[in-house]
Amino acid sequence: MDINAVLSQIDSEIQNVNSSEALEEFRLKYLGRKGIIAELTSAIPSLPKEERACFGQQVNSLKNKLLSSISEKQETLSVKANEAPVSFDIGMPGIAQELGHLHPLTRITEEICSIFSKMGFSVVDGPEIETEYNNFTGLNIPLEHPSREAFDTFYLKDYSKMLLRSHTSPVQVRVMKEKKPPLAIVVPGRVYRPDAVDASHSFMFHQVEGFMVDKGIKFSDLKGLLEIFAKAIFGNDIKMRFRPHFFPFTEPSAEVDISCIICKGKGCSACGKKGWLEILGSGMIHPNVFKQVGIDPNKYTGFAFGMGVDRIAMLKYGINDIRLFFENDLRFLRQF
Amino acid sequence: MKVTYNWLKDFVDIKIPARELADKLTMAGLEVVSLEEKAGDFVFEIEITSNRPDWLSILGVAREVATLTNSKLKNLDLKIKTKSAKGNLKIEIEDKADCPFYSARIIKNLKVAPSPEWIKNRLELVGCRSVNNVVDITNYVLFELGQPLHAFDLDKLNPEKIIVRRAKSGEKISTIDGTESILSKDVLVVADKEKVSAVAGVMGGKDTEVSFASKNILLEAALFNPIIIRRSRQAIGKASESSYRFERGIDLDMVTRASLRAAQLLEEYCGAEEVSFALSGLNKSKETKIDLDIAYASKILGINLAIAKVRQILIGLGFKIKQKSRNILSIGVPSFRQDVKQAVDLVEEAARVFGFERISNSVPSVKPDVAPNMQRSLVSDIKNMLVGLGLSEAITYSLIDKPGLRNSGFEFGVNPVSIMNPLSQEQEVLRPTLMLGLGRAVSFNLNQKQEFVSLFEIANIFKAGTEPKEELSLGIALSGVKSFFTGAGLAKDEANLLNIKGIFETIFKRLGIAGYEFTGQAANFADICVQKEKIGSMLCLGQQALNSLGIKNKDVFIGELSLDKLFSFVQLNKKFAPLPKYPGITRDISFILKDGVSVKEILILLREKGEPFLREVKVADYYKGKQIPSGWRGLTLSCLYASGERTLTEKEIQPAHDLLCASLTQQFEVKLR
Repeated sequence: MDINAVLSQIDSEIQNVNSSEALEEFRLKYLGRKGIIAELTSAIPSLPKEERACFGQQVNSLKNKLLSSISEKQETLSVKANEAPVSFDIGMPGIAQELGHLHPLTRITEEICSIFSKMGFSVVDGPEIETEYNNFTGLNIPLEHPSREAFDTFYLKDYSKMLLRSHTSPVQVRVMKEKKPPLAIVVPGRVYRPDAVDASHSFMFHQVEGFMVDKGIKFSDLKGLLEIFAKAIFGNDIKMRFRPHFFPFTEPSAEVDISCIICKGKGCSACGKKGWLEILGSGMIHPNVFKQVGIDPNKYTGFAFGMGVDRIAMLKYGINDIRLFFENDLRFLRQF
Repeated sequence: MKVTYNWLKDFVDIKIPARELADKLTMAGLEVVSLEEKAGDFVFEIEITSNRPDWLSILGVAREVATLTNSKLKNLDLKIKTKSAKGNLKIEIEDKADCPFYSARIIKNLKVAPSPEWIKNRLELVGCRSVNNVVDITNYVLFELGQPLHAFDLDKLNPEKIIVRRAKSGEKISTIDGTESILSKDVLVVADKEKVSAVAGVMGGKDTEVSFASKNILLEAALFNPIIIRRSRQAIGKASESSYRFERGIDLDMVTRASLRAAQLLEEYCGAEEVSFALSGLNKSKETKIDLDIAYASKILGINLAIAKVRQILIGLGFKIKQKSRNILSIGVPSFRQDVKQAVDLVEEAARVFGFERISNSVPSVKPDVAPNMQRSLVSDIKNMLVGLGLSEAITYSLIDKPGLRNSGFEFGVNPVSIMNPLSQEQEVLRPTLMLGLGRAVSFNLNQKQEFVSLFEIANIFKAGTEPKEELSLGIALSGVKSFFTGAGLAKDEANLLNIKGIFETIFKRLGIAGYEFTGQAANFADICVQKEKIGSMLCLGQQALNSLGIKNKDVFIGELSLDKLFSFVQLNKKFAPLPKYPGITRDISFILKDGVSVKEILILLREKGEPFLREVKVADYYKGKQIPSGWRGLTLSCLYASGERTLTEKEIQPAHDLLCASLTQQFEVKLR
């Protein structure tokens, strides 16, 4: 190999080096473990004895030349780097790992639970497969009674009196049988009812149930607590009303409406021109329920409430079709 | 239910406009869902809760209106001119539990004709079609007083005996809606000696229907057991205004009054003469008495209720009141309020009419329970990790179809739990795996032209056994090519099974799971184990699954594991390990290895041979390409040597590193580079 040819090659190549990566490439090509210098050095033993010394010197000076060229280049490159290259454009997209998205129903469930957690409630889960007793009888819902019609239910084949819970209220029965008051519990969960699917109905949906049991719990406490909740989730501007209603497991019972968040109470299609949106069912726990779970209704009182997570998510995000929640279209999920 | 403003005025003087009345009713628990001005009247559509059958009548709503507006309820003046004799009609009730009370009036010589306009109009406004004056009058009384009545054409009955009994299995009846039903012993019927004339409380028979040719009728007014009416209605699959009221419970004390009211109208508008009246059963209710302690009411509600106010409200609603002591009222419950059974029911009545809005808010003190819900917080942590790793959360249906499960090959020998009353075949079983739902979600998104799909779901799966079992599971699905920017521009990375593995590993490490491994011989399938227990699996979907999901030209990777099982291995108690005092030295080993040699085994060997100085050995790089012979892979391992006592020298490390290289070539099919 002609040392002089290599020398001129080095000169022209080093001029074209414009980045530290290219310089590293250059260094490896010549000084790397399998580089040209290594190649030349390894050739030395095979040379005639008299040529070895001279050739060795030439290789050495070549190596020195390379080292000094590289360090020179390194300096100019680092100066360049400090000058901020013209090619940099802060308008280009930033580079980072892209985040995924939590489902909007998870977001709303968490939001609801965290509001109640801050007020001292514990979050408890319960099974989706339930007994007929926990879903109905324990909650003062007689088996053959029209009050059950609101709770049409999927029953399991092959398992007697087992069903998919049609509301999260059976967890009330579970918790109250297991723990003694004072109790302040919220229960998020998935529930099922045999409803044909359309824009506002689904056979699978989500609820958050809450209840509080202690000595001296009163209806006014329920009102106070739910108002704090509704304002936390829908904003301080909303108006609220408690409308008498009927639930077998509470007495007195109330449905809770908020002023329509879309039309501000003037009446629109979202609120059926009523100006009010129903968001919650609630009431004072029925003494019969306390008797079922072995809590003395003369000693303790309590309230319970339940709400549809899907409905609240639809209201908050302006989603007009419940089926979107279960389609899992990434174009939908990425909006949350 | 619909009521009209003018009809209500028959029973109560109303001095407020319809709109204002609607609001008052709504806030008292009779939610007015629509108010419509029609034919010079206002029609209120009210949602009546199932506990208040007494509101299923004009009279019942009028009683409420009177109480809410401080007016008096007007009574109907009920009397008939014709004197009725005791006839020889016999009523036989097979079981008094099914029919506690039955009454029949024999009415003759009436002229069946179209109804007078005012009856027609009122019925139409409340949504009832006019038939003829006789049928319309029975319906009019039903809406007015809440008591269902039925008129039979007397000349088409055997007039000797009316029998209320269970149907015989297989017995048939053609009902007035023009259809035929085959009955069972769950159905209560009204019959004469020969045949069935009506499905009791639900619908009359076609044979005995009152027509324009009818002259004489039998007017039935009865009380049937709500449960048997519910079963009858379900058995024949037909509901009516009558069955709706019987199921909810009617007022025993109203039965004969309503019958008399109908007789009065028939006399006035059809020229009828009553001939006889027969009844059977208990026709008078027993009054329930409840003590209401005002202090108890105030305590539950959180306000101070004045006893005078409570009295006023309850009297207005028809309760009879006696003062028992200073704070206690003894309250007689009227027969139309079967829903009032205990003191708390009276508290609700008082509060409802008093107005929930007048009860001011308070805030209870909560005794905090800070015990964490471990499962919930772990699930939340995992969801956040997955979102951080770029996956989005899916929620798919828990009820799925059996064929989908079978065709995609996701059955895995698990017996699914079936639904007894599914709405359709699409929802006939509870899912035994999250894979089908996720696979479908992937397919849906690929069809929307998504280049890269990465989804997860955390939900219960269900397995049949002696008890049905639910298990919290995590599923992950990836498909397509992920594009992302690097400093050098756009880079693309095609999803593969190692992505699934990496995602699970990230979670395991964060949760302190010890002894996890991914095992599997097949190229497209691996089991996920923790401390030798299988907790899940991951796979690249085969052609059969892809076909059944409708996915073309894309690979899909799915992993699923049991969180219930995983959570038993979680170890979140962190313990600080002192930082190394002496720096370590890193040495790389580059080699190529034959396909089929497991990197896991190489790492296990090196860790064993590297004692005592080898602190860490990990894969630093891997590559395939032109420089590597086919059937081989290039691999670089990075070895960190360190000591807790001193700084190691090159001399000390060299023999250790040489030993590693030597063991590697001896034990495995590798070539150092």
